[in-house]
Amino acid sequence: MFKNYIKIAYRNIRKNKLFSAINILGLSLGITTCFIIIMYVQDELSYDKFNKNADDIVRVVFRADINGGKINESVVMAPVAQTMKKDFPEVQDATRILNYGSSKILYQDKVFKDTRFAFADPNLFSIFTLPMIEGDAKTALLQPHTVVITQSTAKKYFGEEGSLGKMLNVFVGKTAAFKDSFELYKVTGVIKDIPVNSHFHFDMFGSMIGYADATSDSWMSGGYHTYLLLKPGTNLRKTEAGFLAMVKKYMGPQIQQQMGLNLEQFTGKGNSLAFMLQPLTDIHLHSDTNNEFEPGGNAMYAYIFAGVAAFMLIVACINFINLSTAGASKRAKEVGVRKVAGSNRSQLIKQFLSESILITLLALIIAFVWVQLALPVFNSISDKQLGFNAKTAIAFIGLGLIVGITAGIYPALYLSSFKPAAVLKGKLTANHKSFGLRSSLVVFQFFVSVSLIIGTIVVYQQMKYIQTKDLGYNKEQLITIPNSYALGKNEQVFKQQMLQDPRIVSATTSWYKPAGPSNYNNGLAFPQGNDKQIVSGVDYHIDEQYIPTMGMQMISGRNFSKDFATDSSAIILNETAARALGWNALTAIGKTVIRQNSDKGDNFPFHVIGVIKNFNFRSLHETISPLYMTLQPEGGLIFKIKTTDVAGLLATMKRQWDSYKTEESFEYNFMDDLFNNTYATEQKTGTILNIFSILTIFVACLGLFGLATYTAEQRTKEIGIRKVLGASVTQITQMLSKEFVKLVLIASAIAFPVAWWAMSKWLQSFAYRINISWWVFITAGSAALLIALITVSVQAIKAATANPVKNLRTE
Amino acid sequence: MLQLKKIYKWVNNGNHRIFLLKDIHLDVNEGEFISIMGPSGSGKSTLLNVIGMLDGFDEGEYHFSGTSVHQLKEKQRASLYKQYIGFVFQAYHLIDELTVYENIETPLLYQNIKGSERKAMVADILDRFNIVAKKDLFPAQLSGGQQQLVGIARALIAKPKLLLADEPTGNLNSKQGEEIMELFRQLNKEGMTIIQVTHSEKNAAYGNRIVNLLDGMISNA
Repeated sequence: MFKNYIKIAYRNIRKNKLFSAINILGLSLGITTCFIIIMYVQDELSYDKFNKNADDIVRVVFRADINGGKINESVVMAPVAQTMKKDFPEVQDATRILNYGSSKILYQDKVFKDTRFAFADPNLFSIFTLPMIEGDAKTALLQPHTVVITQSTAKKYFGEEGSLGKMLNVFVGKTAAFKDSFELYKVTGVIKDIPVNSHFHFDMFGSMIGYADATSDSWMSGGYHTYLLLKPGTNLRKTEAGFLAMVKKYMGPQIQQQMGLNLEQFTGKGNSLAFMLQPLTDIHLHSDTNNEFEPGGNAMYAYIFAGVAAFMLIVACINFINLSTAGASKRAKEVGVRKVAGSNRSQLIKQFLSESILITLLALIIAFVWVQLALPVFNSISDKQLGFNAKTAIAFIGLGLIVGITAGIYPALYLSSFKPAAVLKGKLTANHKSFGLRSSLVVFQFFVSVSLIIGTIVVYQQMKYIQTKDLGYNKEQLITIPNSYALGKNEQVFKQQMLQDPRIVSATTSWYKPAGPSNYNNGLAFPQGNDKQIVSGVDYHIDEQYIPTMGMQMISGRNFSKDFATDSSAIILNETAARALGWNALTAIGKTVIRQNSDKGDNFPFHVIGVIKNFNFRSLHETISPLYMTLQPEGGLIFKIKTTDVAGLLATMKRQWDSYKTEESFEYNFMDDLFNNTYATEQKTGTILNIFSILTIFVACLGLFGLATYTAEQRTKEIGIRKVLGASVTQITQMLSKEFVKLVLIASAIAFPVAWWAMSKWLQSFAYRINISWWVFITAGSAALLIALITVSVQAIKAATANPVKNLRTE
Repeated sequence: MLQLKKIYKWVNNGNHRIFLLKDIHLDVNEGEFISIMGPSGSGKSTLLNVIGMLDGFDEGEYHFSGTSVHQLKEKQRASLYKQYIGFVFQAYHLIDELTVYENIETPLLYQNIKGSERKAMVADILDRFNIVAKKDLFPAQLSGGQQQLVGIARALIAKPKLLLADEPTGNLNSKQGEEIMELFRQLNKEGMTIIQVTHSEKNAAYGNRIVNLLDGMISNA
């Protein structure tokens, strides 16, 4: 019986080559995208779940609102871990990681510069599942100056030799005379490489024991990622509530001592501070805190992708449903004969389902090839390492079966419902119902297509807007050299040397960049005589050349100048800061600003010499906050260059740099690259959305093409009669296309408000954004209409130009 | 073998009720060869479909081999006709995608007969109808007469008690038609009960009783 099903399914597929090809192509595209996205989303959701205790591990984060400045830190102070373990029974254990960055490490005569180093408490391995393959996990980090390394690091450092007991020199800082200073660490363990889907990846964990700051009792500052192992079933909100008493007990006295306020007075001024708990498995997708080890994922984009992929698959399934029901008259006789031959309905349903599953399996095979081809591309766009394994292969086949049944069930029910007495006489009744369904499904397909086109245009426009927006500075032709501090005294020599080069326009000494990843110092300031009006802003330390080099504009007053000795205590405000302090650009000049936590001491007075035009120094997702600029050049160089011979200039720079014989190699960034990197996620999303919408429209059009073919076939006789009666080719083509045009118009009418709503929501995540203009909708609608029209009219014209006599004779 | 009592079948067209079958009484005994005749639209095919249980009726009683068909549920009715009735159509109605062999085999698939047994039964009937050489051809490769032969073979494969034929020679030339009618006569001699719908007096003469239908009513009996 089953063999018979397969046989007839196979013969039907071969007989209707065009429709089978449309179905298989559409389904395979749908399965390919859907599967890749499932892998992507699954990967995003799997972060840190490899830890056996994943559900009971939380991270402590610090959230505060101090004088209007919001603080959201993924790091907390040194004593938090031990205090929580001691004071809260539900905390079973606590461990800390201190990110030490990429440190320079020496082994014998070899120098390694890109080893990611962290200090960790000895119990790290009992909380996180990081299996140790050499050494003892319990004791490895108990002694000071011990280090545990990963398997691949061991291989890189020691090759095939054993790792235990090897001695490494770890860079710990510069001496006063700019000499590197190292400490000796002994390797006491080797762990397996940390899984890709972990929110941290270190190559080495040095023992926190012996690291002086780790035992500090300061509740005022610290940089420790702190993780708790909780008793299963702990209510996080309840535990967080308990932290209030802890804050009062330990932090309160230190606030009193440093600020002269007790905790009540402090919070009474509208300030707040709290420790919160973040489930380990939420960190990758949902964390909003600063100082993460690595940039996290974005839940919104994961959801968008998942939604779009699901739509894509539905569009492909719709093709199958539409083509099967439209072609029902071809199968009607068979159904009738089989029923007369004694088949019952469920047997027919099974037969048609095996047919749809067979088609899906063929699509699956093609999709498999496509997934293989597309994965490398997708991986490079999305920065992932997705691939097939046993588990995903099963999921892949499962997906195929689900698609086969989803696509096949309605046609199976519909086809198997035919009454034999009626269909064998050639009367196919109830076709109107399925025509209505087909129309609604086509509307849905084009609703998805039009929405995606609108989405793609809006994303593109917003990206374009970001590229070309007047940022308040000129990001073009700027080279930054972030590690020039490594040159020490030669930094200024290097700068002067380079300034002689005609290819360089100007240079400034500053570490502060308005684009790319930066840590900002928060500055607190108030206008003299009004200490209630504290304004929290970003602190920029610059030199006299900074503003002209960056192409920033003064609105009033003047730039820093060597001509004024008093400029060391001068300050330039941005427009927002001037307004926040209660002035405007003109009245601000000459006023005095008291900086609470300046580098020159607490409550140091600065006199305002100028107001600078607002410039975007954060991502365009955020509005421009107050900014203070003071004259205090520090490490890092920025050059404004001419566009001629950039490669040659860079070579010259490198040569010059190397002549100082510093350990650090010459590194540079272009400011516009740094700027663009900020929007990498949005760019990625735009690209993927673009691919999706093209594919979706393609699949929808495949279906439309099939439907148009059927319509033309079924109306052959009508077309023949009309032509005999004098209808022109144009009139016939119009008649056949009209129906589909109507459907696309309806789909657009539904898509417009929905897409407008969705894209407005997305745009709201940008503080600086475009308005969606009406022509976006017109463009998207017309594009869909045009594509649909071309698709349909190919068939319509073919039917209309056929010889009517021939058509009528076949009847 | 079967008995129709006061069978009515109608469709409602607005306020009108149009009768397709009206007050039909018919007794068919085992071994009979009945020809139903009448002009177009007189309800011949409808009557045949009612007898064959492909179509229902609105009023009356239908007894088949002692079973009250009008009281059966759809499923039971289906299993009843699957067991006892074979159909032959004017347009043959072979499945285009299946070979001769597979077309004939189809009814057996729905009666859960084992593969080896199926093979034997199909081989048997191919042999008997002299179409062994054609068994791997598709319907489109056969002449009309040959297709109808396959259609009859398919109708007989499951060994029904009653053979229903709706204008079995309507699409055939006279020579092919005669061959088919000869075959029917032969089957009837072997004990098969046959009811055929026909326009042709000549074909009707092969049977042993004629039922004349006019506007859904039997005009003689």
